[in-house]
Amino acid sequence: MAESSPTPPIACGLCGGAPPEEPRRGFLARLVALGLGAAAYLTPVVAGLAAFLNPLRQKSQAGQFVRLASLETLDTTPRKVAVIMDRTDAWNLYPKQPVGAVWLRKVGPKEVKALHVVCPHAGCFIDYDAAAGQFVCPCHLAHFDLDGKRLEANSSSPRDMDALEVDYETQGGTTYVRVKFQNFRIGTAEKIEA
Amino acid sequence: MNSWMAWLNERTGIAAWWQACRQRTAPLRCRTLASWPSVILFLFFLEAVTGLVLWMYYSPSAQTAWESVYYLQYEVLGGGLLRALHYHGGQVLLAVLGIYVLHMLFRWAYRAPREVVFWLAVLLVLVTLGVLLTGDLLAWSQRGYWSTNVRTNFLLLIPGIGEPLRRLAIGGPEMGHLTLTRFFALHAGLLSAVFAGLLWLHAKALRRADAAEEAAGRPGYPLWPVQTAVNALACAVALGVVLVLAATGVELGSPRDPIDAYAAARPDWYFIGVYQFANYFPGSLKIIPIFVVPGAIVLLYLAMPFIGRTLAGHVFNLLAAFGLLAAAAVLSWIALAHDRDNAAHQASLRAEAETAQRVRQLIQAKGIPPTGALALLWDDPKTQGPKLFKQHCASCHDYNGGPAPILSEKPSAPDLYGLASVPWLTGFLDRKQLTFNPPAEELSPTNRPKYFGNTKFRDGKMAAFLRDDLPEVLKDIDDGPAQFKKLIEALAAEASAKPGHKPPEDVLALFEDFTCTSSGCHHFHGQGQLGTAPDLTGYGSREWLIGIISDPAHKRFYGARNDRMPSYAPAGQPDQHILTPRQVEMLADWLRGQWYEPAAVAE
Repeated sequence: MAESSPTPPIACGLCGGAPPEEPRRGFLARLVALGLGAAAYLTPVVAGLAAFLNPLRQKSQAGQFVRLASLETLDTTPRKVAVIMDRTDAWNLYPKQPVGAVWLRKVGPKEVKALHVVCPHAGCFIDYDAAAGQFVCPCHLAHFDLDGKRLEANSSSPRDMDALEVDYETQGGTTYVRVKFQNFRIGTAEKIEA
Repeated sequence: MNSWMAWLNERTGIAAWWQACRQRTAPLRCRTLASWPSVILFLFFLEAVTGLVLWMYYSPSAQTAWESVYYLQYEVLGGGLLRALHYHGGQVLLAVLGIYVLHMLFRWAYRAPREVVFWLAVLLVLVTLGVLLTGDLLAWSQRGYWSTNVRTNFLLLIPGIGEPLRRLAIGGPEMGHLTLTRFFALHAGLLSAVFAGLLWLHAKALRRADAAEEAAGRPGYPLWPVQTAVNALACAVALGVVLVLAATGVELGSPRDPIDAYAAARPDWYFIGVYQFANYFPGSLKIIPIFVVPGAIVLLYLAMPFIGRTLAGHVFNLLAAFGLLAAAAVLSWIALAHDRDNAAHQASLRAEAETAQRVRQLIQAKGIPPTGALALLWDDPKTQGPKLFKQHCASCHDYNGGPAPILSEKPSAPDLYGLASVPWLTGFLDRKQLTFNPPAEELSPTNRPKYFGNTKFRDGKMAAFLRDDLPEVLKDIDDGPAQFKKLIEALAAEASAKPGHKPPEDVLALFEDFTCTSSGCHHFHGQGQLGTAPDLTGYGSREWLIGIISDPAHKRFYGARNDRMPSYAPAGQPDQHILTPRQVEMLADWLRGQWYEPAAVAE
């Protein structure tokens, strides 16, 4: 196995034969080696980054009014009502799915207040403590009154519970409560649409 | 050198490493040959980076694989380009590896001390084939699914272990979720890691061989900067080729349909020669072209460093390698030429492309349900109608019109194209056309029984009425022919009338005057009676068609006089159903031309 041939048997015209000792072409060669090499390697990275960053240009679903309950089924104590809507998850469209919930409470004979169940602090679902007559977030123990106002001076929640727009619709003698269901950004003092 | 570089260097030796890189030398051979490994490394990097991002969007399951790729392709910015780069990058990588192996052969650069270098390159080709074949399935398209189905079934050709081997390949007795997860793990995990490992070993072996040659007295020359520049240029050219190919895009096709085998599924270019070669062998001998001959070729390649020790052996290797390449080229050309001239193959390609376009329309209109995009196609009258008709109706009925007429081998029942339309009814109510029945040997697309010519109703009451009574009736009625036209129009209007409507009195009187109802044969909106001939109420409407397809022997239609038509979904007898109620609806909707079409795009 020790045999080895000193010269290739067939020469191709592409490469020429002389050993390269070319200090003057050194700069050009360096430029090509680094510049072209870097450009080649960067191309797939850029293409990959474009797709990787796609979530940044996507918008979340806009708020829309959904019928939640008839007026007569509601009371002055809050009731948690599921919101059923079409939901899109990447490529799938899930028709008529529970997408969230809303606390509904009568504040007048024909008036309802709607509060989002999601806590503005860290996105947990807020419970209603019937004995104390207040809302409480089980994750970090923020308490809210029936109107959604924070009860602690240094509440873990940066803002009051998120109220949602309500309107009413009468059909066949029954009045239904419709709520504009939308999500708000978590963790901010102002209420910003997510 | 600043202090933190010194700090880093002290702990890593990076400066010495960089110095060693810059001072590396290799024996002068051929700049192009020396640059292939750089191109291979670059293409592997391209595949790894694009593959990683594809991975972020990919969901391997039978209901989400195609759907997630669809989302990437059409909803993600640059997603289509990313997929095209990954796909074509893989093809170019395989081609470059093949050229590299041939170039080594051509330059006699595979003999001592370079045997291992050569072997590793051959192994890289084999692993790349594995990566491409497993990647082919992942989009779960008709083409990928059905060609993988064929390939994995070929494993059954191997005596003894074929069946367990196939099960191991597809993850169970049938292809499904587990085939995808398995292929994905092989494609993006195991095989890619093996590729990286082999490439690293190849680089090691290459340096060792270079050092051995230099030690034996061949002059070395520095790789930096000129050879490195050549390498960079070669990578840029390879990238250019990938970009040009990627500009043509990469098709997604239609989602795999487990009950609609795709006849035009063909392997990619690298296996089309083997495909054609296998076509020359009978089924019992397929193991020869699929496993024995390719296996022998691989063994030959692995033996080449030994055969090529002498000039005669080297010449033999060259003849064998380029001879095989030429044979593969000729076989591929034969296969492609055959497919190009094969009308059935072209029709299958067109049908697939139409389905792919259709599913996009449906997705844009309705979104992809949780059951996957295939559910949209399975619920689409435009897609299912012709298939159901061919399968269940075309043994007797023609559908002789539209862009894709369906002709029965032995037409015996009415042509259903334009059923219940004015022209169709006008022909029906013409005795000659009603009973027309050319001899079997004179059948042509334009010379066929269109109505009752080949049924027992050819000599039935309707034909007798048209022959014996209608001329009299036409004479008795004032302005008979015009009234007859009105009758036809009124009957045709039933097809699009809303259920529960009531036609005006003069229309009811027409049916009375022409004895449709007064003869006791037909029922029409409360006049006449059921039981003799089909109900004319809602004739040709969706509800009427669903009724007659479901149960023509119902007294509302032909009752006991029904000729040969099966009841496809008789009410209350689910065990007798040949079609599901939904399939009957889709047939009815398709016959009536009722399906979703996207609104024409405004200019």
